[in-house]
Amino acid sequence: MPASAAWARPEELVESLSSLDNTARLKALRDVKNQIIGNKTKKLSYIKLGAVPRVVEILASDTEVPLLVQSAAAVGSFACGIEAGVRAVLDSGVLPHLLKMLSNGDQKVVEACARSLKMIFQSTLAPKSDMFQGHRMELIIELLNSENENVAEVAASVLARCCETVDHQQALADAGGMQSLLRLLNASVKTREAALDALGALTKGNKQLCAVVMCMDQGRSLAMIMKLVKDKSPRTRLLACACLANIGKASPSSFQHEWEMRTSMLRVLVKLFDEPGPVGEEAPGVVADLVASNEELQKVALDMHAVEKLGEFLRKAALPSKQLTGVLSALAELCSRFQESRRQLLDMQVQARIIAALEHDCASVRAAACSCIRSLSRSVRNLRTSLTDERLVEPLLKLLNDSSADIQALAVSTVSNIVLDFAPHKAVVFRCGGVSQLIQLSQSMDPILRVNAVWALKNLMYMSDKSLKETVMSELTFSSLVDLIFDSEEKVREQAMALVRNLVYGDKDSIQLAIVQDAVLLHAVEKQLHVSTESEICIQGLYAVSNVAAGSEIHKEAVMNILIPETPMGVNGNTSLLMRYLQDMSNPQLRVGALWCVINLTFPGCPGLAGRISRLRNAGVEAQLHTMAEDPCLDVKDRAKTALEQFAAGEIPSR
Amino acid sequence: MYRPLRKLLSSSKKVITREEWEKKLADVKIRKEDMNKLVMNFLVTEGYVEAAEKFQMESGTQPDIDLGTITDRMAVRKAVQCGNVEDAIEKVNDLNPEILDTNPQLFFHLQQQRLIELIRSGNVEEALQFAQEELAPRGEENHAFLEELERTVALLAFEDTASCPVGDLLDVSQRQKTASELNAAILTSQSHEKDPKLPSLLKMLIWAQNQLDEKASYPRINDLVNATLEDPVT
Repeated sequence: MPASAAWARPEELVESLSSLDNTARLKALRDVKNQIIGNKTKKLSYIKLGAVPRVVEILASDTEVPLLVQSAAAVGSFACGIEAGVRAVLDSGVLPHLLKMLSNGDQKVVEACARSLKMIFQSTLAPKSDMFQGHRMELIIELLNSENENVAEVAASVLARCCETVDHQQALADAGGMQSLLRLLNASVKTREAALDALGALTKGNKQLCAVVMCMDQGRSLAMIMKLVKDKSPRTRLLACACLANIGKASPSSFQHEWEMRTSMLRVLVKLFDEPGPVGEEAPGVVADLVASNEELQKVALDMHAVEKLGEFLRKAALPSKQLTGVLSALAELCSRFQESRRQLLDMQVQARIIAALEHDCASVRAAACSCIRSLSRSVRNLRTSLTDERLVEPLLKLLNDSSADIQALAVSTVSNIVLDFAPHKAVVFRCGGVSQLIQLSQSMDPILRVNAVWALKNLMYMSDKSLKETVMSELTFSSLVDLIFDSEEKVREQAMALVRNLVYGDKDSIQLAIVQDAVLLHAVEKQLHVSTESEICIQGLYAVSNVAAGSEIHKEAVMNILIPETPMGVNGNTSLLMRYLQDMSNPQLRVGALWCVINLTFPGCPGLAGRISRLRNAGVEAQLHTMAEDPCLDVKDRAKTALEQFAAGEIPSR
Repeated sequence: MYRPLRKLLSSSKKVITREEWEKKLADVKIRKEDMNKLVMNFLVTEGYVEAAEKFQMESGTQPDIDLGTITDRMAVRKAVQCGNVEDAIEKVNDLNPEILDTNPQLFFHLQQQRLIELIRSGNVEEALQFAQEELAPRGEENHAFLEELERTVALLAFEDTASCPVGDLLDVSQRQKTASELNAAILTSQSHEKDPKLPSLLKMLIWAQNQLDEKASYPRINDLVNATLEDPVT
């Protein structure tokens, strides 16, 4: 047997790691290293035996090059592939020692330590923000310029993992990282790929740094990255596309031949789906970034069968989290606009997989699955035919309480879609306590959550039955709804008005909700109609009022009193709400809303019709209607004519 | 008047005579330096370090990789070819620990080769212990590994391993296969392509000839070793 001590007892080996004899220590170190490389079982057992602190101790206190190299390599291997190993080396305080050794005079030591650092930083446990203390970042960036390409490569891959926040990105760029990384694009494959990876991390969601890349060297760097989209190495192609997708997202017309470039990137990426390993796993996520809010490109992707290919992934057994996130995000984008994409995906019968992903351990998977369902649920037809699975509702409701506010907001808007027009889902939401959750979220401090929650409640109210409406109102309370009508956020006010509109639409009981509790809702709407300057809010308000006007005599009377109030001096047509909106030329929809009020107030066959007509006529409404019969907006014109016909019919006394 | 179909088809193809073809070939300028680079690429990738050194001296062609790394790589390859797998593992770990740590399949194949060598030396007890301690956990991690492991352990069940159904594992070609896989991984880790460029050029030649066959009759190269031009079929 060769010298390897594969059969020496592990306990003894660990003991020898602290031997006072340098040769014995080195031998033990080499043996441990050679046993654990590639072998998770061995790594775990040596961690249990307490080998890690001893190995780190050698790195901390020894000076001989072979000992330092071997201990750095062992640290790197412990940290490679298992979280427990990363935790063990970090707990042993290895980071400062590794960083110190990066300035060692011996290139072998520097290389071994840099590699170890890379291993640690491939884990999510890596202490990323620690790297921004003191001059650590400068140190790593200096390594980018190392003569030794292996060192430059590992430095770039460490940097690629250190850009989680905009501050990190900026700090790295400020320290001169960008120039050095761009220079490495001319290096050999592995170094170039590490540099591209870091550039992708630096430019992700960062407009400013994207602009820096675009302008660097009169655009030569950008041209270089564009060339790499067609490189021989699949990983280079992927990473170049990722960089360019970031840049394209940051500014819509960022490079020459924009459209050709984007379509050819898309083609490259879709082909990369079939690539084994990390490249194929990451390609869908890059597609998601590339086609985000670009309808034409989404169309092209559809023509390239991207939806089917992505759907195929979902049919396979478990995917790694990162890949699953990418696949679902890409599908969410592709299905956000086109019904054809949605249909293709739903035809593949992968709904159950998407629904299951709503409960995934990984937050980014949950978010992506939620976006995907949201896109699919934008079509009412899908809701009624392919998304009828009740199991969809419960995990979505759970996400309303997710620890991430982003996921909460996504979940609320998805719930919004699924409760719009599908009674069974409304019932499940109701049964599972979703209503209470939405009501709670409508009181959130986060304006986005508040808008989405009120939106969802509004959709829930649409064509709902009396009992659902009453339950919602008893829990939400009239006074909270009034608060929402006067919320500080314009969007919340608009959705709250729309909620009232849906709430008071339908049977007499629904309409009654407008005038119970001293007509608190109707008065709130009235007040907004008086003070608000945003037409969207007023349109919702006018429709709410017109819905009330469709009710009984009492309801109609209440509406008359707010639209054409009778003062001791008689009716003043010019200052009435009704005349104001009938004459509002800023937005035809306002006039249509006001006309609906008139139409519902003058609906034939109601007992108090004659009285109302004469009051409206005295206020100058009929004359105004004649003017409106010539309105440039066809919708307004038609409604005005209908109203005039009802005025004329109202003349004939009912028999 | 009618002519047989085949005649019609073949005559519709353009015929290029040997002279025309050779003239065309002579018109194509290929730089000597590029040819030398191709040769160097082959020598370096295949690990002929001495030939590469000589070729560098004679032609002045720079290798696309540090020749010193070839020596290390060849030492690793040779160790596997001699059945000295542990030695190869230690050497490759010294070269770059990442190679085996991030390449489970290669790592498994090396361990499998170690097991084969133990079985070859008739060390049954040690072989079993090794299989159980080192290889079984890998089989649990990956089903494909488990099948390969079972196939390898089956060697122990036969008296006459040479003629048993899994006897191929003891063949020199198995060592060669493992050695090549390791060699390719080292090359990749050094940012070098794992295959030389020459064979893919030959593949392209064959592809191009097949494409051209549909359109023209020309002096084809059928004998790739000597690159002799055949007479065009008319």
